[in-house]
Amino acid sequence: MEVKPNETKQISAFFVFFLMPGMQIGVGILGFEQVIAKEAGHDAWISVIISGLIINAFIWMCYKLLGRGPNTFDLVAIHQDLFGKWIGNTFNILFILYFIIISITIIRTYIEVIQVWMFPGINVLMLLTIILVLVYSFVTGGFRVLTGFSLIGLVIVAPLFLLIFFPLKHAHFGNLGPVLDHSFLEIMVACKKMTLNYVGFELLLIYYPFIKKRELSQKWAQFGVLFTMSIYLVSMIVSTAYYHQEQLKGLIWATLTFWKVVDLPFVERFEYVGITLWLFKVLPNICLGVWAASRTMKRVFGVKQKKMVVFILSVILVSGLLLDTHNEIYWFNTLVSRIGFFIIFLYIPFIFIWQSIVYKVRSHKP
Amino acid sequence: MRFFKGMKGKDAAASQCTSNDFQDLFKKFEASKDFLTFQFPDEDGYTISYFNSLVNAQQVHEQVLAVLSTHQKKPLQQLKGDITMEDIKETKDIKVIQRLILSGSIMIQYKTGDETCLLIPCALDVKRKTSIPESEYTVAGPKEAFVESLDTNLNLIRNRLPIPDLQAKEFRVGSISQTRLVVLYIDGIVNQQIVDTVTQRIGDIEYDTIVDISFVGQMITDNRNSMFPQLIDTERPDHLASVLSEGKIGIMLDGSPHALVGPNTIISFFSSFEDYFQIWNLGTSFRLIRLFAVLFSIFSSPLYVAVITYHYQVIPTNLLPLLISSRGVIPFPPILEAIVLEGTIELLREAAVRLPAKVGSTIGIVGGIVIGTAAVEAGFVSNVLLMLVALAALASFTMPIYQISNTIRLIRFPFLLAAQLYGLFGLALCSAFILCHLLKLKSLGSPYMEPLYPMRFDDFKDSLIRLPFSKQIKRPRFLRTENPIRIKKKAETQNTQSDIDE
Repeated sequence: MEVKPNETKQISAFFVFFLMPGMQIGVGILGFEQVIAKEAGHDAWISVIISGLIINAFIWMCYKLLGRGPNTFDLVAIHQDLFGKWIGNTFNILFILYFIIISITIIRTYIEVIQVWMFPGINVLMLLTIILVLVYSFVTGGFRVLTGFSLIGLVIVAPLFLLIFFPLKHAHFGNLGPVLDHSFLEIMVACKKMTLNYVGFELLLIYYPFIKKRELSQKWAQFGVLFTMSIYLVSMIVSTAYYHQEQLKGLIWATLTFWKVVDLPFVERFEYVGITLWLFKVLPNICLGVWAASRTMKRVFGVKQKKMVVFILSVILVSGLLLDTHNEIYWFNTLVSRIGFFIIFLYIPFIFIWQSIVYKVRSHKP
Repeated sequence: MRFFKGMKGKDAAASQCTSNDFQDLFKKFEASKDFLTFQFPDEDGYTISYFNSLVNAQQVHEQVLAVLSTHQKKPLQQLKGDITMEDIKETKDIKVIQRLILSGSIMIQYKTGDETCLLIPCALDVKRKTSIPESEYTVAGPKEAFVESLDTNLNLIRNRLPIPDLQAKEFRVGSISQTRLVVLYIDGIVNQQIVDTVTQRIGDIEYDTIVDISFVGQMITDNRNSMFPQLIDTERPDHLASVLSEGKIGIMLDGSPHALVGPNTIISFFSSFEDYFQIWNLGTSFRLIRLFAVLFSIFSSPLYVAVITYHYQVIPTNLLPLLISSRGVIPFPPILEAIVLEGTIELLREAAVRLPAKVGSTIGIVGGIVIGTAAVEAGFVSNVLLMLVALAALASFTMPIYQISNTIRLIRFPFLLAAQLYGLFGLALCSAFILCHLLKLKSLGSPYMEPLYPMRFDDFKDSLIRLPFSKQIKRPRFLRTENPIRIKKKAETQNTQSDIDE
């Protein structure tokens, strides 16, 4: 059952460039430095590059996966093609759950940032409900609206990337040396942790049918990941140069702390503005996650996507309320990290190789 | 062809109607005092009937009655040749008779009670002369505006676009008013799909009386509940002519001194037609200033509420004493202060619009100076907020299109409430809601946020910025025109090397 979107609902290949960072850069960037600096110290930036390149390879795999079969234009079709209907759909349901928990982590972590930095006593239920209504109105606009939101979100937060200039004034680039001071293993462990910040590219497996001239879009997908990588790289290098290593290892929100350094004549405590604007970066994340989950549900169960969106949003609401304390959120984040690692590093190569084998066997049969 | 066939069918049906219908119609007419019917030139002469209030008396005297009195009585068929008027109809179709008499024709019967009659158009045109555009006044450029007569308006456009490709499709809308409506476009440039969309939507209009084009506008837009207008309402014939040649379509209604233009992007609501009368770099700068004015107008007072209520840490130390001294004595929370002041401004604006121009300006002065100063002195509002609100009102007046300035007036209130709820974060949430709405919006099927999304770099040449005419080689891409090229030949570059380059 190939559900092919109407051409008026498709997007140009070019927009994949915005969808990649649209899903990858989210709450993670606000504090990823600490995690990888713990492993690779001042060489952490090398891990950022290596993991970025690994993701490029994974994207190449995804395009191979999608382009090889006759009718396998999305993950659901690939699963059903390779494993048959029942086992295939089991995998699909696992992916639905994966997309939902990703959305839960993003939204809950962002609300935690707001709780910690802006409104300590905020009513989580109310805030969560408002954000979810917003998500609902975006997701029901369809995939084109979400793509537009990713693009405009990126445009709105783009000035924030330039603010890195302020800590640069006090940076000591001597902190970066000596280069390659850490063992290969340490750098690879940091790589593993870093990869999780690139999670989101696998959504390509879901929205691929929505791209016009799909074959040409790979270039833009790869550029998109390189863009994400450069953003992470600059943040990592600047935080290594700005903070002392020991200080960095204790900072939960290193990028966010940068904003405190910002010194403009008309505004102080810039982090309030920064966190506020960051909504336009976080919301596309959540929307795309919810969209991917509901789209997969529609493809698997053949139900109305709108109803599924409501269902998913209520699941997110309930679980967002259940995750109450920082420790719970931290625990959930770690859990999602593990699952994400499993999906990226093990599952995508596995299904890639499995598909190669299956197609080889099939082509040998008369 | 089909059109004609349909007409023939109608004629056949009408000819079967009995003389009873004719009598009924006549009775209805005679119930009105201004319906005249008399014998001319004498008791045995023709029966002439018309609405006194609809016909041009001078024309009747000179071109009809004068002819009838000098010639002998003959059958209507021959009489038709004697009267030197165009478009004379001889018919017994009761519907045609009714329509023509009600639009100012005089009816001549051979003798009273005859069903066949001659209908001579002698309509009295009460027209306003073309005047200076009021809501879209520009210092430079033509000073002609549309008037209430559709034919005059069409004349204004045809004079500017003397090509046969300029086509005017006519419709009648409104079950009672039967108002003439014309859809204008240039064949060969416009995307036929847009014309079809508009034609179909106009066909779907169901209403009794359509008196103004804004009725039509509300009935045919894509999202009928959106605060954001999707069709531009213009009174400038030069504006309409230039967008027609871009590939947009215009809609005009008899009795309405405005034309609707579509499809549009949100940017086109912020661009004044005057931008094109100036050199491109000035035009671009003013356009950018206007965009900044919109943002300022929407966000200034909500930002004040957000910052004062929740995030006083954001205020720079040097500015703090100023704010404290201004707000120290105010007994109300910032939100109440802002809503009171914004409400006052809205009151003043409504009052100024309703009153005649001379009194209106007095209201402006009274409101602005007396009420404002009094409110500050009484300690009701802070003068910082008064300044912000006044500036915001001023900024919203820079909008060149009337409809969007109304939108901007009202959109501030949800932002104020959001600012009270969650401070800066509330503003972001509210903006996201609006962004979502804008992303979903379409104008006659074209995306509203173009060229921002879908991002088309080509179309930036005339959106946020306006490049010189030599760069406007192609028509806007969102119109999906059939002929996208605007400038065929490349202008020959003159040899303008200065002596130092030789």
